[in-house]
Amino acid sequence: MACGLSLIFGVLRIINFAHGAVMMLGMYATYWLFTLGGIDPYVSIVLVGPLFFLVGMLIQRVVIEPNRFAAEHNQLLLTLGLALFLENLALVLWQGDFRTVRPRYANASFVLGEALVEVPRLVACGGAVVMALALFAFLRRTDVGKAIRALAEEPEGALLMGIDVRRIRAVAFGIGSGCVAVAGALVTPFFYVAPDVGESFNIMAFVVVVLGGMGNFVGALLGGFIVGLAESLGATLLPGSLKQLVVFALFVLVLLFRPAGLFGGGRGR
Amino acid sequence: MDAVTKRFGGLTAVSRFSLTVGAGEIVGLIGPNGAGKTTVFHLLSGFHPPTEGAIRFKGASIVGAKPHAICRRGLARTFQIVQPFVNLTTLENVMVGAFNRTDEVAAARARAVEVLDFVGLGARRDAPARELTLPDRKRLEMARGLATRPELLLLDEVMSGLNPTEIEEIIGLIRRIHAQGVSLLIIEHVMRAIMALSQRIVVLHHGEKIAEGRPEAVARDARVIEAYLGEDA
Amino acid sequence: MVAEVLGGVALGVLLIAPPFLPPYFLEILISVLLFAYLGSAWNILGGYAGQFSFGHAAYFGIGAYTSTLLFLRLGVSPWLGMVAGGCLAAAFGLGAGYLSFRYGLRGPYFSLVTLAFAEMLRVVAVNTKAVGSSLGLVIPSREAAPWSFIFGGKLPYYYVILAMALGAVWITRRLERSKLGYSLRAIRENEDAAEAAGVDALGMKLRAMALSSFLTALGGTFYAQYFAYIDPTITFGPAVSIQGLLQAIVGGAGTVLGPLVGSFVLTPISELSRAAIRGRAGVDVMVYGLVLILVISFLPNGLMGWVRRRRA
Repeated sequence: MACGLSLIFGVLRIINFAHGAVMMLGMYATYWLFTLGGIDPYVSIVLVGPLFFLVGMLIQRVVIEPNRFAAEHNQLLLTLGLALFLENLALVLWQGDFRTVRPRYANASFVLGEALVEVPRLVACGGAVVMALALFAFLRRTDVGKAIRALAEEPEGALLMGIDVRRIRAVAFGIGSGCVAVAGALVTPFFYVAPDVGESFNIMAFVVVVLGGMGNFVGALLGGFIVGLAESLGATLLPGSLKQLVVFALFVLVLLFRPAGLFGGGRGR
Repeated sequence: MDAVTKRFGGLTAVSRFSLTVGAGEIVGLIGPNGAGKTTVFHLLSGFHPPTEGAIRFKGASIVGAKPHAICRRGLARTFQIVQPFVNLTTLENVMVGAFNRTDEVAAARARAVEVLDFVGLGARRDAPARELTLPDRKRLEMARGLATRPELLLLDEVMSGLNPTEIEEIIGLIRRIHAQGVSLLIIEHVMRAIMALSQRIVVLHHGEKIAEGRPEAVARDARVIEAYLGEDA
Repeated sequence: MVAEVLGGVALGVLLIAPPFLPPYFLEILISVLLFAYLGSAWNILGGYAGQFSFGHAAYFGIGAYTSTLLFLRLGVSPWLGMVAGGCLAAAFGLGAGYLSFRYGLRGPYFSLVTLAFAEMLRVVAVNTKAVGSSLGLVIPSREAAPWSFIFGGKLPYYYVILAMALGAVWITRRLERSKLGYSLRAIRENEDAAEAAGVDALGMKLRAMALSSFLTALGGTFYAQYFAYIDPTITFGPAVSIQGLLQAIVGGAGTVLGPLVGSFVLTPISELSRAAIRGRAGVDVMVYGLVLILVISFLPNGLMGWVRRRRA
């Protein structure tokens, strides 16, 4: 999730508030595929990923590209508007009830030493790592990937080198959206589906991306682990949902003191 | 400035640089591109702290002071790429500078009008700043600095992008500013302008002072010539 | 001239018409004015100083909880509690602002931090029994007690919020013509150039923050007294933050009448959309999202901003 967000930031230089909303849509897509078509969530990734890649490109083309010269804070508001629109569209269409995707293995778990490991969560974790690595390889090896990196680093240079900047921007947003939708699919076996799930994930994604360094993909992965750990630690130390405070506190501290992220490589202030 | 060094990470932008501007002087600062001239301005105006060395203004150290505090003490600057407040009118732009010396809106407005007339922008007073031409924007930048009643004004390449007629006008304006008792430190690439205006010239190359003296002497200095020619080659 | 006359007429209508309006319209008007008020408060920091806070709910919540707790636990009149809440919010705002500005947070980073602060407060409130956690707080008794900011009917509430909204507009106008106003606008345009011209950016931004947060908190108290129920999600949640900034952005950030105009345009739109598609929650916010996208795309300076440009 954070990798996608980082990618979008790196190339388009916008902080995409609608990221969580796309994930939520990905989750709904998975839900409908499962409920209506009996397609296993993990299998539906094959459909969900590319679908939301296209959706992402469409969003970028229609909403974001025309405003690419707007002031930074306006672009932020733009994605906020998008998030509001998408989240509430879901609310209107599908109402606010929680829905769940419960494949046969939803409760599968095994014991590893002292810990109880739930299979779906493990798969989600593994899936995330695989995706991150795939993304990394894609950026390094393929032409499109290199074009994306070029654009992220040196927008004017990329333009001069004949790279179709508009297309690459759309592609980057598409990839980011596809990633986050897949993340949504991976999460459905153990997380409820509702219009507002995007919000909680959104904030987490931002925290991870800032921690890892905006635009730093490896950092995003590592940041994800750190945030997850921090939240779990917080859960053991603090009662109730106060564990979120630990994550937020971390977020604020990083923003204040190391806005380029713990691993650097990101844009600072 | 006394033996000031400024390092950015591994890059030494300015090295053991010393410079003095006396009251009422016009000093020119020249050097090939990338020599560190604008960095010197950032150091003087408080935008960057020096890594080493001392900076004193009117006898007191200003190292670590914030830009607005330095401005209040009487040191104002312009920016190489003009930075007008585009959504404010010309008058409002200058009023921001005038507020440096007063809390009253009426007083600030009066001072701003006065300064705008002085620099020749009186007629464009109520125009939004975004509608001004480049030469006018340069005047606006200088007016805003002047409104703060500086004793020392730093001008950063105010002539860049201007045609010869406009350059002559700005030279005249700078002379009038000087006549008002303002000391000036000027960065410039337009050689004849800076030669004509400066009483003394300091030459910066790769962050180090390589020459200092009267304009004619500096123009003939072999090291200076080599620095400029070497850059072109 | 035309503008002044129109304004006078509008004001007259606002003052005189309400007693004759059906309750439904009165309710809507109260909502309009409350959002306009919140928008104006946000506008001081967001529109004039250019610091877009996404977490103004923090101050709204502090105001609401402070006055309510003082009232329920200590019997302090919410009129006084309002001021206390405002001061507390201003203190919090100064603290948060100082941290953010001192460490140079600008633009989106500042927005994210404000969001984080608001969320942190929400989480704390949810987990604190003493303030009612997720169940929230209820203000009992609907017997009129004017000295305790409880009225029998809606009309008095209307006049209170009208006064607050007009007050906020007046404060904004005074601000615009003051040294602080000029300084803030310069900071918004170009903070570095402003500093170079002698503007104490940190000090000015903090002033704007204190004023903005104080006013927002007063709005929180009004909400608590009018709706008689508050909980962490309503008061500290993103909805409030977004409502405030939406009015200002759509109406024109950085203008005096912007938030007022924005609210008079947005609130009816939201009501209409809710009426048009009955029974489905979220239609109004969906429309808000759409409006926001459209406004940013075509009228980035908001309605009043567009008017101003046309005039100039």
